[in-house]
Formats: sequence, structure tokens, C-alpha cells
Amino acid sequence: MSTPIFVTAASIAAQLHQAQHHARGLALTAKNARALAVRAGSKTVGFRAITQFIDELASDIIRQSQYINQLSEQVSQHAVALWRGNMADGRFDWVMAENSEHRASLAHSQRQCRLRSDELSERLRRGLRLLEQELDESEKHIRTANLIATSSKVEAASAGEFRGQLEVIAENINATANQIRAHLQQARQLLSQRQI
Amino acid sequence: MLATTIYEQGDHRWIMFGRDPDKAEGIIDTNQYLVISGEEAILLDPGGIELFAPMLSAVLKYVPADQIRYLFASHQDPDIISSLGLWDQALPNASLYSPWLWEGFIRHFGMERIRYCAIPDEGLNLTVGRIQLQFVPAHYLHSSGNFHVYDPKAKILMSGDVGAALEPGEPPLWVENMSQHSAHMKTFHQRWMPSNEAKDHWLRRVRQLDIDIMAPQHGRLFKQAHVDEFFNWFEQLSVGIALR
Repeated sequence: MSTPIFVTAASIAAQLHQAQHHARGLALTAKNARALAVRAGSKTVGFRAITQFIDELASDIIRQSQYINQLSEQVSQHAVALWRGNMADGRFDWVMAENSEHRASLAHSQRQCRLRSDELSERLRRGLRLLEQELDESEKHIRTANLIATSSKVEAASAGEFRGQLEVIAENINATANQIRAHLQQARQLLSQRQI
Repeated sequence: MLATTIYEQGDHRWIMFGRDPDKAEGIIDTNQYLVISGEEAILLDPGGIELFAPMLSAVLKYVPADQIRYLFASHQDPDIISSLGLWDQALPNASLYSPWLWEGFIRHFGMERIRYCAIPDEGLNLTVGRIQLQFVPAHYLHSSGNFHVYDPKAKILMSGDVGAALEPGEPPLWVENMSQHSAHMKTFHQRWMPSNEAKDHWLRRVRQLDIDIMAPQHGRLFKQAHVDEFFNWFEQLSVGIALR
């Protein structure tokens, strides 16, 4: 049996919640890096500039994850309403096939129910498209994070006695970016398996 | 779904629905009631989500959907009203009368179109077509916010879980022998009803009513001759036994 779309959307929201959690970790890493760069003085001027980017990047990822999370929850709600409407429609079909004297009096409610379902289907399709676009956008942020991690490593190489600590930070950025990417990929995979 | 007219006088009817042969296994059997007067009708304790389609089909044999103006839920249990989300699609202009206490809970079953009319603790009268129904307080029997429905014209008391019986097989519609029947009611009342005080309060109230039929939500219905017998039996029964 295929997974209902409202379960898929809720699972995507859960993945994005995890991504947000890692992005907060990235923001913390940026703060630590900045403090270290200030202490290290002129040897880490390049690194200090990068920390600003990391901080902004972390904020962008958090903001976007929150948005995608919200979007997923909306999609899930639309999907539940659609499922309920379709269930009612199925029951109405069953009743229409029965020999009830006043079954025709149900026709108006069934039409209304189908109209609502059509409208919900459209909203759901729009929501899913938007979700796909936002996940693509997030992927760009992760590519940026990997670039920053590489630049950090280069800058760390010229930081003298601070090299070791800065390399750890650069590695942290890289690892966190990969964790966020894993959640985004999981979310995209869930989205690609969707059934409306 | 078995449908039986238990009262008919002109355009005033009471129809009982239940004993659904296609009901899924493991689901408690329930009695649903439709009261029609003129061009209006009310569904009493319309039932669980599993019963929705057969119930709707059965009801439409008697009235068109737009004449079902009211729903009544005696309390919040799923076998009473978990079908609400589907009735909400079928009867978008209807009003649901139910205890004020349960409004925030019952809405969890899904209610976007149907209007919730909260019944205050002291009860309420509702005009349906040309008759007036009374929502009679039955708090703590068994739910903390609970009402029964009395129709003074038909002299029928829909008594919710009071008088309910869990009987195996396919029992007849009417109680035939109280002493035999009480065996099927005893545990249900002792375990589900929490308060002897509430029971005595209810008995004082309903003994003042003129009752030809007592119609519970599970099991057999009581004709006049057995109603007093039931009251006497219930009076001597100690309830709320789980803590003892």
C-alpha cells in the first residue's frame, strides 16, 4: 500500500525540523569561529570574513527550513481534508448505488464535496510544486556551505598556531552541511515517492 | 441495517436503526434513532464512522437529506458521534445539539459546516417540525456531560447508555423478560455508570415522565410494562464498582 500524502508531507516536515536543528548548530559554529578569529588577530583576517558568511548562511537555512516545514504542514492538512472528502465521496457513491427512496437528495452534497475535493487537489498540487522548488533552493545553500568549508580549510592553513582549531571548525561546517544535505535529500526522496 | 418504526402518528415518526449484519467484527452494536415530524427530522446518536454509509443509506429511505435539520449526540463517545466528519459533508446545513461540556472535544471528529449548538447543563427544548423534544440531563450516566431525549407526544425516552445491554447473538428488539434481561445489563451499568447519586437523581427526574417506550443506545428497547421494572432494578443496583 502506498504511503498517504499527508504522512509523506508530515515526514518531510520532520526532516526539515532536523535540518533546522543542524543549522542552529552551524550558527553556533560560526560564533565560535568568529571568537577564535578575533583572538587569533591578523593571522586569521580571511577566516574572520568567512565566519560572517557562515552566520548568514546558517540564518538563511534556518529561515528556509522553517518555511518548508510550514509548507509541508499545510500540504499535510490539505491532504487530510482531501482524504476525508474522498472518503465521504466514496460513501456517497455506495449510498447512491443502494435502493434508498431519497438518495437523489444527496446529489447536491456530493457535488459540493467533489468541488471541494477538486479545489483541495489543486491547492495540494501547488503546495507540492512549491515544496519541490524550495527544496531545490535549499540544495544551493548546502553547496555554498561546502564551498565555505573548503575556503575555511585554506584560510586555516595560514593561521599558524590556530591552524588546528580552525581546521576543526572547517570540518564542523563540512560535517553539518552534509547532515543538512542528508535530511534535504531524504525530504526530496519522500517527495518523489508521493501519491496524490 | 435493520430499520424499525417504533412510533407512528400522522407525520410524526420514530425509527430505530441497528443490528447491522455487515458491521465489522469487534464493533459494539448500537441503536440509532431518527425522529421525523412534518418536513423536519433529527438523528439521535448517529453512530460511529464505520456505520456511516449504511446509516445514511437507511435514513434516506425515510427522509431526504435536506430535511435532516438536526443531529443530537448524547455525549462524546466514538460509537455515538465519530461519524460527524462525514455527516458534515452530507448535511452541511444541519445543527448538532450536544452537551456544552464536549464541544471542544467533539469538534475533533471534524466539523467545518455543521453548527454546534451547546446544550446547557439544565437541558433544552428543541422544536422539530410540529413537535417539541426535551433534552433531559443525565450527567454522569455515564459521561460527565450527558443528555437523554424525551418526546412528550410519542412518550418515548431515548435513554442513551441507561438501559443498555451487551447481549451476544442477535437479540430481539424488545425486552420480553426483565429478570432474564437484567443479567445482560448488570455489568454494563455497574462498570460504565460511575455515580449512585447521579443514578438516583436521574431516577427522580424520569419517574415524573410519562413513558411508553424507553429506547437505549445498545440492546433491546423497553415497552411501558418493563420501564418501571427497569427503574426499580436500576434503583437497587450499586454502580461504580471498579474501585471496590
